[in-house]
Amino acid sequence: MTNIPTAEQTVTLEIARYRPGVDQRPTLQRYDVPYREEWVVLDALNYLKDRVDGSLSYRWSCRMGICGSCGMMVNGTAKLTCAAFLRDYLPGPIRIEPLSNFPVERDLVIVLDDFMEKLTAIKPWIIRDAEQPIEQGEYRQTPAQLADFKQYSMCINCMLCYAACPVYQHEEQFLGPAVLALAQRYNHDSRDQGNADRYELIWSDEGIWDCTFVGECSTVCPKHVDPAGAIQQAKVESTIGWFRSFIAPFGRR
Amino acid sequence: MAAPYPRQRSNTWYLANWPYRLFMLRELSAVFLALYTVLLLLLVTKVHAGPAAFAGYVHTLQSPLLIAVHVVVMAFALLHSVTWFQAVPKGLPIRRGEEPVPPQLVIGANYVLLLAVTVIVVVIVRV
Repeated sequence: MTNIPTAEQTVTLEIARYRPGVDQRPTLQRYDVPYREEWVVLDALNYLKDRVDGSLSYRWSCRMGICGSCGMMVNGTAKLTCAAFLRDYLPGPIRIEPLSNFPVERDLVIVLDDFMEKLTAIKPWIIRDAEQPIEQGEYRQTPAQLADFKQYSMCINCMLCYAACPVYQHEEQFLGPAVLALAQRYNHDSRDQGNADRYELIWSDEGIWDCTFVGECSTVCPKHVDPAGAIQQAKVESTIGWFRSFIAPFGRR
Repeated sequence: MAAPYPRQRSNTWYLANWPYRLFMLRELSAVFLALYTVLLLLLVTKVHAGPAAFAGYVHTLQSPLLIAVHVVVMAFALLHSVTWFQAVPKGLPIRRGEEPVPPQLVIGANYVLLLAVTVIVVVIVRV
């Protein structure tokens, strides 16, 4: 970064600050940052932390939309701050808050334990009844079989969809958009045989049937995973499974 | 360690933005459709009761209040249909091999189907 000239255009950020044990509730603090056309919100936060206020806390890592750690509310909408350009929010002020629907650890850092527990609960890995012997070679997959789940595998666990989901806001037990989309990712993988281990949780009230199809999860998703679509498709599969349980009560789901 | 600030709930979350507002209107449309079903069922009972009762009911329906109700119901019925058709490719995505069939095509097919059914119904009613 080059030296910042003093007399130049600035943009105002209103950043939510919360110090646990000190503040009763988060408050907005105003900062002016130099305006750069190529700067994203995360660049402005890094500028502030480096040069103005080292106590500002937030998560980030890759700054290129891969790691999924810099999700925040920008003017009330869940965004990856590495992909939210200052130029799209002019003239400001730009309000930066931690992701909605999560407890706040400090400033812009949320507590993500609930998400992590739900993520492991649906067993997001390939489950086999028995591993194929090495001599038989790799598990092969046609391009059409890959296309059946590839979109869901793009999820980066950034949790923007949880921040956008009013159902998750009001029903804390709801597994949520990303977790249910990842369940589809494995259930639709031709190499996976784990639906029998997953369906009870996925097809339950805390799973897909809590979803009222608001659809904002898919709107905010930076990777075009379309969790809302995944959940509606799982609802169709769940309904078919329910009918099938009458026809073949001991059959495989 | 000091406690984190707990997660917040809003009882007016649906006023926050237009997608949320539209979602609530979409869900509310079911209430208006149910209301219209009641009017329609009343019509059936009047048909059963005879020509005089039917004529009386038709006259009642022509009151400005009930016409206004019908206009509102119609608006919600349209919203219901449009949003329902929009949802079809989400729940039933169709792929040809590796390529997904464009959602607009699936939605368009639903409108064509609606038009066809409407024409059939109109023809039956006329005959």
